[in-house]
Amino acid sequence: MLDTTTRKDRTEALAPTAAATPALVTENVGRSFGALRAVSNVSITIAPGERRAILGPNGAGKTTLFNTICGDHPPTAGRILLFGEDITHLRPHKRARRGIGRTYQSSLLFDGLSVLENLYLAVRGAMPGRLSLWKAGRGDAALAKARRLAEQVRVDTIAEARIQSLSHGQRRQVEVGMALASDPRLLMLDEPAAGLSAAERPELVKLIRDLPRELTLILIEHDMDVALPNSDIVTVMKDGEVVVESTPDRIADDPVVQAIYLGGEH
Amino acid sequence: MILMSRTQWAVTALALAILAVLPLLLPDFWLSGILGRSLIYGIVALSITFLASYGGFISLAQTMLAGIAGYTVAILAPTAIPAGQNAVSYWLAMPLAVLAATLAGAVVGLIAIRTRDIYLLMITLALAVGFSLFAQSNIDWFNGYEGIRNVVGPELFGQPFRAHAVFYYVALTVSALLYLMVLYVVRTPFGLVLQGIRDNPRRVSALGFDVAVHRIAAFAMAGFIAGCGGVLITFYNIGITPGSIGMTATVNVLVMSVIGGLGHPIGAFIGAVIFTLIDTFAATIYDRDRFNTLIGLVFLGIVVASPDGVLGLGKRLTGWRKQRDAGDGGTPH
Repeated sequence: MLDTTTRKDRTEALAPTAAATPALVTENVGRSFGALRAVSNVSITIAPGERRAILGPNGAGKTTLFNTICGDHPPTAGRILLFGEDITHLRPHKRARRGIGRTYQSSLLFDGLSVLENLYLAVRGAMPGRLSLWKAGRGDAALAKARRLAEQVRVDTIAEARIQSLSHGQRRQVEVGMALASDPRLLMLDEPAAGLSAAERPELVKLIRDLPRELTLILIEHDMDVALPNSDIVTVMKDGEVVVESTPDRIADDPVVQAIYLGGEH
Repeated sequence: MILMSRTQWAVTALALAILAVLPLLLPDFWLSGILGRSLIYGIVALSITFLASYGGFISLAQTMLAGIAGYTVAILAPTAIPAGQNAVSYWLAMPLAVLAATLAGAVVGLIAIRTRDIYLLMITLALAVGFSLFAQSNIDWFNGYEGIRNVVGPELFGQPFRAHAVFYYVALTVSALLYLMVLYVVRTPFGLVLQGIRDNPRRVSALGFDVAVHRIAAFAMAGFIAGCGGVLITFYNIGITPGSIGMTATVNVLVMSVIGGLGHPIGAFIGAVIFTLIDTFAATIYDRDRFNTLIGLVFLGIVVASPDGVLGLGKRLTGWRKQRDAGDGGTPH
């Protein structure tokens, strides 16, 4: 019951209010690659602690939107505010330091390093003194945190294994662990369940559900079973634009969404 | 995140122990002419292997960086002919030379900051050739084509630097320290980030690391390593000429790295020993003038048989033996 109330409250708070600074605001954000406009005129506002799912067919511009937010492909139009701060022109590592963590659609891990080393690097990236020539000793705080993350995403038993030798599902878990390493205020998961086997899926859903509630989460997901239970508000994109924004229980009935998902596109 | 496994430590300690007692067994020529020489060129090759193995950068500027250290120590050397205007003690000249190579390494890293693969190769090659030609045409500092002679190095334990045993032990100590330094550094946050850049630079940036700064630092460290080698090579050759740091020298050091294997720092020294042996005994085997043919054939043979050098060959053989011992009868790949 309580859950539905919060959802409704958030829906009403869709329009930015002066009360709380939104976690993320995109103002008319656009991104073009040459003549191709991958994303145009996207304005979304996400409240702190909100779970937002972004749905849409392939090529809708979901990942490009992620890239404009995390800075891999900065926007060619519009503004992006993170907790009120304009980050539109910051380089990716500066944005990461301000609290954005993300995973990638295809695993982007360090294949030649171990699971623990991958997590350790992710922890170090969020700490001052990044360029360090001191090897981590037994009591190293960052190393200890990397071990905790390995437990949290359930890869502690394979901590010393090289990424090369991991299964797809295990890689996904490491991905989430790495994104969590910086204690992000905003976590963006790009199709975390893509390519997972039916057996691996519940593990990941549980992992997402167990994330701390104060974390703001944006989730790109094709799989409704993963996306809907894990979101407060759903944004649907098509051809680079936002077409619908609604709550999960109403989204399936939306005529536009039905047209996209049932109207032959999928 | 351990430095080396227990077996690797044991092998390293054993190898160092054997190398340490060799002076008692080997004739002087072998000591400095083969082993000592292999070690000092191996150091320059190590700087290539370090960048390639952990950063994924193939730099052809490492011989140039060794040359910058060599010229610095030569210009400042108290015994140099022609004598420099600013001669200082060798004990000051040596650290200054290594410092110069380290800074120059950082500059190479800065110039090549956005390039990878073939473009990085071309830029560093251009820098190397450019520096060699500059040294050749500059008389005031570099004494042009003739270079600088009589850079004999400091006295150690009351003996000249070039005394066979002294030279050998210095080369061995410096090589071992630099080798262990590389093994240590690659397990530090800096070294792990470097390997991250090799595997996935975009992700490194997304994690909050400054890729550019780490790249420059890696090139500076490689410059430091090459600089140590450059100083020792200059003492070994009792001087330095533009020819000794030109295109041929650059390619030779690269050949050492590749023959040995770019997968692990020890490959640099293995490659240097093989190269030096062939270089020395080409005359006995066939004909002095056919050295290039011989080393070329050896290079071709090793690279065709095992693209990751002698190291890779060794790994494949042990893997194959393990498979055979395990009795699964699988074919080695």
